[in-house]
Amino acid sequence: MENKFNFEGLAWKWMRYSAFLLIPLVWIHAIIQALIVGGHNLSLDYVAMRWAIWGWRVYDIFLLAFAFSHGMNGLRQVLMDFVKGSRPRRLLNGLIFFAWLLLTALGATAVIGGVRMP
Amino acid sequence: MEITLKVFRYNPEKDAKWHYETYVIEGQPTDRVLDLLEYVKGYIDGTLSFRRSCAHGVCGSDAMRINGRNRLACKALVRDVGTKITVEPLIGLKVIKDLIVDMEPFFDNYKKILPFLINETPPPADGKERYQSPEDRAIFDDTTKCILCACCTTSCPSFWANDDYVGPAAIVNAHRFIFDSRDEAANERLKVLNSMFGVYRCHTIFNCTEACPREIQVTKAIGEVKMAILRGKIK
Repeated sequence: MENKFNFEGLAWKWMRYSAFLLIPLVWIHAIIQALIVGGHNLSLDYVAMRWAIWGWRVYDIFLLAFAFSHGMNGLRQVLMDFVKGSRPRRLLNGLIFFAWLLLTALGATAVIGGVRMP
Repeated sequence: MEITLKVFRYNPEKDAKWHYETYVIEGQPTDRVLDLLEYVKGYIDGTLSFRRSCAHGVCGSDAMRINGRNRLACKALVRDVGTKITVEPLIGLKVIKDLIVDMEPFFDNYKKILPFLINETPPPADGKERYQSPEDRAIFDDTTKCILCACCTTSCPSFWANDDYVGPAAIVNAHRFIFDSRDEAANERLKVLNSMFGVYRCHTIFNCTEACPREIQVTKAIGEVKMAILRGKIK
């Protein structure tokens, strides 16, 4: 069967693949932060301690990359239902892409830069 | 028993806006909603308009919203829907009059998926039928049951938002031919469905499966078409 490249098809697959990765990523994150550490203990000191280990930084970058792209792609797919015409759809795709890129860059900068204690 | 039938009414030649009219009539638990509508049309208000044909759940003409759910009026019994019944036209298609909606956008989408057997191979030498095993037939058995009533498509929020979406009924009918071992145009159909307004507008909400009066597993069929596109092959 001929299976041509299709952006919608790729985006649809991305939702499934990223969701598959998000299951362990989010569960481990939620169990550690909410249950083991506890929400009331989450402080700048804790984040500095956590990000002192590069493995956790890589983990958080993965979480950011997959969770945020999954969410933004979901938003895009829902909004696409309501947009008529190819130009408005291209515009919406572009806006969502730049919003995703900007916020991901900000998040990644924070994770890579780490915490500088005063 | 006394039945309160609230019916959506709209006559574009007279009414500036739609409204509801309520009829209190006598009926039996075994009466169908179609019987109640026929009674109103025959004895109370002959201007009430609705589609009906076979009245036995086969033609799919009398699909409408009964107590908020898409059903065939000829299959919905009073004992199942209660004595307070609200009847409205299907959502997502323009109302022509009362319970009659414009089905053209629905059939336009249906036509896009080439809903007919395509086979360019000459028939067998004996001139008889193209054989198909019971196992091959079973693959698409469920989707052959579609009667094109539009209950599924008009229960789909993605279709309400954008009628460019081909809709569940078109995908179900594409499934019927894509997985038919005698058909040779699966590629053409999958090409139509592998697009912005094809299967990707389905968000697996399952309204279609719940609405289908023929109990077709619509969402499952759509999933099978998605998998065929994803894998690039049918089997």
